[in-house]
Amino acid sequence: MALTSVTIAVPSSSSAVVLPRIFSLRSTTLPLRTLSFAGTHHPFLVLRNSKSIARVPSIRCSSSALTPQLKDTLDKVVTSNKVVLFMKGTKDFPQCGFSNTVVQILKSLNVPFETINILENEMLRQGLKEYSSWPTFPQLYIEGEFFGGCDITIEAYQNGQLQELLEKAMCT
Amino acid sequence: MGSRGASVLLSRASRIKTKLQSTLEASIIEVEDVSHQHAGHAAVKGTQGETHFNVKIVSPKFQGQSLVKRHRMVYDALAEELQSGLHALSIIAKTPEEAAPK
Repeated sequence: MALTSVTIAVPSSSSAVVLPRIFSLRSTTLPLRTLSFAGTHHPFLVLRNSKSIARVPSIRCSSSALTPQLKDTLDKVVTSNKVVLFMKGTKDFPQCGFSNTVVQILKSLNVPFETINILENEMLRQGLKEYSSWPTFPQLYIEGEFFGGCDITIEAYQNGQLQELLEKAMCT
Repeated sequence: MGSRGASVLLSRASRIKTKLQSTLEASIIEVEDVSHQHAGHAAVKGTQGETHFNVKIVSPKFQGQSLVKRHRMVYDALAEELQSGLHALSIIAKTPEEAAPK
């Protein structure tokens, strides 16, 4: 079964980063198969060999949205790219003013960054709030660490801290 | 109706103010409802406003805390509001020294 994946061109380096598009979910009632992602199984994040993906109701006992599998996945996502932004909408079509502000700031700094649209997946959205201990979006991660939301990003951009941190991240 | 019933009658802005004042010993609190600025927002549809707020808070408890930590303190104090329709907060969190006019 072919893996539907997206290749993100990273202008400042010569290698491309491949990030499986596991967060693009649409609800359909199609039959599903689980796909192993780097050794872990995600019964609620499934991928088909076409663009349509089915959503599985998760079978979990706890009321927490952050299952161990989701936590694992998030660990990998935030470290897969130097700069990761969980936002509402996409890089090209932000659907929230705060998310858009962060996107514009990052674009103006010319840093390569990955965005993930939390509007497409309610489980992801709630899980991330626990994962980051942060109740709102956007959420910016730099080098695997939670950096902040929109206010913090703006302040750090205005006082130069953001540029400094990103430069350091890009050089390592 | 106990005190909980009475507090629900207050606006969300008042409740935010009260909670932050008591939890964070704020010397200055300004709470502004800016939900109307986000009226076209998908999340605001079907609500009665009171979804987006600007909060400015000056408190000695922020001393020595990073911005992320300060914002988390504010979010923790408002956890109930966040679960009942409060959607976004723009937070300015300063210590009395930082807020003092230069």
